[in-house]
Amino acid sequence: MELGLASCVDCACLPLKAYVGHVQFLVQQGLSLLFVPQVVSLFPKEWTCSVLLGLPDLVKQYVPPSVRLLTPVLDARRGIHQLTLQYLHFGLQWARPSPVLRAWRKAVRAQRTWERAYQAVSSPGRFRLLLLGPRYLTDDPYLNGNLREKLRDLGAEVLCPADFSDATTAAACSLLRKRPYWTCTRRSLGALAHAVPQLDGVVTISPFGCGAEAMQGVLITSLTGTRIPHLELHVDEHTSPVGLFTRLEAFCDLLERKRSG
Amino acid sequence: MKITFPHMGNVYIAVEAFLRGLGHEPVTPPPSSRRTLELGSFHSPAEVCLPFKIALGNMLEGMAQGAEAVLMIGGWGPCRLGYYAEIQRLLLQALGREVEFITLEVPRRPYAPYAANLRKLIAPTRFSSLARGAGLSWAKLKAVEELEGLALKVRPREMRPGAATEYLQEQLERLRAAETAAEVEELRQAARRDLPQLAGRERNQPLRLGIVGEIYTVVEPFANLRLEERLGYLGVEVVRTISLVEWVTNHIFKKAAGLSSLAPLRRLAAGYLRGFIGGHGLESIARSVALARQNLDGIIHILPLSCMPEIVARGILPGLSREQGIPVLSLVVDEHTAEAGFQTRLEAFVDLVGRRVGSLGHRQSSVSRS
Repeated sequence: MELGLASCVDCACLPLKAYVGHVQFLVQQGLSLLFVPQVVSLFPKEWTCSVLLGLPDLVKQYVPPSVRLLTPVLDARRGIHQLTLQYLHFGLQWARPSPVLRAWRKAVRAQRTWERAYQAVSSPGRFRLLLLGPRYLTDDPYLNGNLREKLRDLGAEVLCPADFSDATTAAACSLLRKRPYWTCTRRSLGALAHAVPQLDGVVTISPFGCGAEAMQGVLITSLTGTRIPHLELHVDEHTSPVGLFTRLEAFCDLLERKRSG
Repeated sequence: MKITFPHMGNVYIAVEAFLRGLGHEPVTPPPSSRRTLELGSFHSPAEVCLPFKIALGNMLEGMAQGAEAVLMIGGWGPCRLGYYAEIQRLLLQALGREVEFITLEVPRRPYAPYAANLRKLIAPTRFSSLARGAGLSWAKLKAVEELEGLALKVRPREMRPGAATEYLQEQLERLRAAETAAEVEELRQAARRDLPQLAGRERNQPLRLGIVGEIYTVVEPFANLRLEERLGYLGVEVVRTISLVEWVTNHIFKKAAGLSSLAPLRRLAAGYLRGFIGGHGLESIARSVALARQNLDGIIHILPLSCMPEIVARGILPGLSREQGIPVLSLVVDEHTAEAGFQTRLEAFVDLVGRRVGSLGHRQSSVSRS
């Protein structure tokens, strides 16, 4: 984090600073080849975000010229299968087709195993919360101050947008007049729209200064009205885990009280 | 129908003509002010960017003047602008304001709301009057831009500080009232004749600074604290890189015809940014390279706080500045930007650039203080 803060452009969001920090660390280890994909889109007709679009070019500013960047373009705007093709195409620069295909299959399997193991962790609790936010925040215990663990300790069952399929969230988004064009926001809101009946509360976590997340609160209110309590957390490098924990405790107390009438 | 719309520089002159051509009554909100911003910020999510807040304030002020509908542009990302209209609609709805939203964007499924919108917009019109309105509006937009451009050249050279701005305001009022394309043309001719006469005899070539950045903050004087005027009074000739005429041509006409191409911008930005990142990020980088090649003395980059594409541009600009040998100042604006601090930074930058030009011996610097 310190490394990232020292070099990254100010105004940047927390995940970007952390990313640049990782890059700096790796460069200090003497790496000469760095994998920084340009993730344009992960779903048809949607975008990731402007920062990810400019990521390779931004990272280039922070590494010495001796480090070569590998920057394949991942763009699913014209169909999800494009992603696979782009990966394979990237792989073909290094090896012949058969090992590339094998590596791809292996990678897909490994990712699937990990996802399944990750989702299996959620255990029933006294109330059910939906945790919304970009995955690099919700799934990174350092950046989110170990949020999920703490919520679980407070007796909450934590659901995430990743627990719902893309098809589900995309369909559920039809409740909105205009479908969000950022994949992360669409997933979050779709998951919310889908899960509203079984929820006791919503917690959103977003990096300070994130453009896509800034407007999400309005959409959440439009979906749930005032029926469901909503805790909005913004994190940056100054966020203290203690303050975060206090807010979580207070929120969970309120939920408990609401439930007991 | 009485229709209001958010401000963006002097675009209101063209929009008014367009709406009249359609047979509607335009309700132009009062010029953006502190009050507009406070009104907008009060009802906006905290982290949303400055243009959103000002636009929402404009809408509220327009509605207070009796507007029944709001005209706004939309889009499909990745910049937030595309989603503005929808959020603003929801916010106004939550406030209990009954207002129709007419969002102009490339339609996507389901098409029915777009068709309904379009019907509402063109309902009271005949084709001939629509065409006349569109023609007049286009002529006015071009005239506004030409006049503003002339003023940029004259301001650093004017004999009496403020004369060019006064003349510009006067002519813009006339332009606003003009009813035929011929009148507009006449005003243009008059400005071409009169404005240069306000300039004094030229002693030194003034410093030339280019402005790049997010389009709204570049074009809207309230958002950029009258940046162009301020620089003019510091004796700087401002070179605009963002043209609304060009923006409309590229984003509306060419895109509709499928002719829009980023290739020229990409070529310019090569080595710095590989392509489109939303908003004006690519433009900012590409135009900066172009300005450096035109041997300008410096670049001012302006962006609203938390503007994602421009943050990327901001990260790349220092490297660009080093390699192309051109000073760059990035200015971030939001509702807390204070005038004095802003002015100080501009003066310091102009001083530095002036000294640099002097020491490079290209030519004598002429930074005069007002």
